[in-house]
Amino acid sequence: MNLRAIGCNVESATVELREKLAFDEPKLRLALAELTARYDVEAAILCTCNRVELYLGRPEVGAPIHAPLVAEFLAETHGVPAELIHPHLYEHADEDAVRHLFRVTSGLDSVVIGEGQIAGQVKEAYDAAQKYGATGSLLNTLFPAATRVSKRIRTETGIARGQVSVASAAVVFVREVFDNFTDKTVLVIGTGEMGQLTLTHLKELNPAGILVTNRSPERAEAAAAEVGGQAVPWDQLDDALVRADIVLSTTGAPEPIMPRRRFKEKVLSKRGRRKLVIFDMAVPRDFDPSIHDGDRVSLFNVDDLNRIRDQQLAERRKHLGPAEMIVEAEVRKFVLDWNRRKDGPVIGRLTAELDRVREGVVGPLLEKLDGRLTDADREWVEGAFRLFQNRLLHGPIAALQEASKEGHSAGMRDALMKLFGLKG
Amino acid sequence: MTVSPLQGITHACFGLSYLLAFAFELARLVWPGAAWRVAALGLGVAGVFAHTAYIAFNQPTPAAPYGSLLLLAWVLALFYLYGTVHYARQAWAVFVLPLVIGLVGLSLALAATAHDAAPVDVPTWLSGPRFWGVVHGSLLLLAAVGVSVGFLTSIMYLIQARRVRNKVNPARVVPMLSLERLETMNRRAVNVAFPLLTAGLLVGSLLLGEEHGATENWFSLKVLSTAGLWVVFLVLLYLRYATNVPGRRLAAYSVAAFGLLLVALVASHPFVPGGER
Repeated sequence: MNLRAIGCNVESATVELREKLAFDEPKLRLALAELTARYDVEAAILCTCNRVELYLGRPEVGAPIHAPLVAEFLAETHGVPAELIHPHLYEHADEDAVRHLFRVTSGLDSVVIGEGQIAGQVKEAYDAAQKYGATGSLLNTLFPAATRVSKRIRTETGIARGQVSVASAAVVFVREVFDNFTDKTVLVIGTGEMGQLTLTHLKELNPAGILVTNRSPERAEAAAAEVGGQAVPWDQLDDALVRADIVLSTTGAPEPIMPRRRFKEKVLSKRGRRKLVIFDMAVPRDFDPSIHDGDRVSLFNVDDLNRIRDQQLAERRKHLGPAEMIVEAEVRKFVLDWNRRKDGPVIGRLTAELDRVREGVVGPLLEKLDGRLTDADREWVEGAFRLFQNRLLHGPIAALQEASKEGHSAGMRDALMKLFGLKG
Repeated sequence: MTVSPLQGITHACFGLSYLLAFAFELARLVWPGAAWRVAALGLGVAGVFAHTAYIAFNQPTPAAPYGSLLLLAWVLALFYLYGTVHYARQAWAVFVLPLVIGLVGLSLALAATAHDAAPVDVPTWLSGPRFWGVVHGSLLLLAAVGVSVGFLTSIMYLIQARRVRNKVNPARVVPMLSLERLETMNRRAVNVAFPLLTAGLLVGSLLLGEEHGATENWFSLKVLSTAGLWVVFLVLLYLRYATNVPGRRLAAYSVAAFGLLLVALVASHPFVPGGER
């Protein structure tokens, strides 16, 4: 195997450098074409907001490509000096490169452990490389294997379980209270950034309607237009709360906008037995926390949602060990399979060559002895030569397979080709 | 006459099947895996099959405690199977199966003290006072199913509401239905059970008045607990539709109603000969 994974990620390079090294579609197409033509490599480029990585495979006889060359190539492609790039590049070779891709695809190398988006991004990188004809037998085997490993890890461990963002934690909580969302109304109070993110998640539940209110009517109108909702005047907040089923509050008010007494008198008493879920994302808080009863009113604040996210991340970390073990087993299997795949043609040619030699010896011999041998004798002679050939081949083939298991069969294959006069 | 091997089915066959299914369901919660679910479901189906065959061959009457408990357990076992398939991700069986097992156990305890009786001849149900007795028993049995479903959903509601109140991370606990879904199921169960209970009580009152007019029968434990159950249901309906009482309190009333139902089911019937069977 002659594989290299060379690139940078959030740990090795700043966001500014990663931004400069990012590949858009035209750049990606040109880069892949240039790499394959200039360096005689199979290539795939993985470019996400957290990493830029080049996966380069070469024929085993060729010299491997190293980080300085890739730094020069990236410098040329992006117009950034190579000396600024090179110190931030890491390089993984052969088995390590396989391991790295498997870990990346499974989300084990991600900022949020176990995140699922990266598997899709790896697949996109591979699809693009295939589309532009930059892949060969190595990458065509490696990338599908990486996707399979990622799926296996997600299925067999809890690494991808649970919600690991504050916004998605809100959805988890709301599902504990409500089952059907198509008849629910979401009320957004204020226009804080965290609220927008949470609203994006809540909108995916297809609520019946979205109400938006803000102290500034213009802001309320603008926000309502943005989310496809209806603006409600600030002085009708109580009525809006009576209509709402899910509330997202993100004002910057210095005091709670909804004290307990006001909530009980103006809102709760008019809601009947309908349940209300409130996400108070504001700091300081907008709603008096004592209104939470876990039955008619469920109130969650930023701390509650952060706690859920942290617990989930801690939970995922517990599954890192088993996930890494799967990666190790899959790396060993991949390397072994790859080497066997490479050994197969050599063994086949070796056997064919000795078959040819054997037949060249046995044929004339039997011709010379023609008439003096019975059919049984002829069979015995042929069998004896075949046995001799098999015993002769046993040693080299066993040695080659042993070298494959240890992951360094390339030299052995080369030696056999030379020793037995096989053409490359 | 050929004896079917199904006639050899006993309480132990379906009781143990349910018990093992419950154990596998618990195991599934600790070690998630499809194998546990398949095993639990298989045992559940086997249990329901054996239960059905037992009822078909022994024909217990719903008018007596033993029969009514066994029949109620059978309907709830069907409810368990439905829920397990329909709510595959939820810990449905963990709540329903203990009730089924408990009812089977209770019926077994009553069977031990009951007299052996010949199966009831079906055609005799369709005529005379016996017909009304069966109507009365069947109505109350169906109402009991509603009460039991109301009880189960209430228990689940109370647990879920407690979790939400304590803001427990849902990923760390047994998955359950939402408060909204549980409340809907509870409301439907009560709405269905109440008219059945009322009709059953009316038929029973007429039978008690016409055929067994002794005053002490009106004050038997069975009659009083059934009447108490009806009153609790009336209160439940009033609270649900006329007030803004929190769901937790309604759930607590449903649990109390189930307690009264158990008393009513276990208590001797005032006018069934032999008392219990």
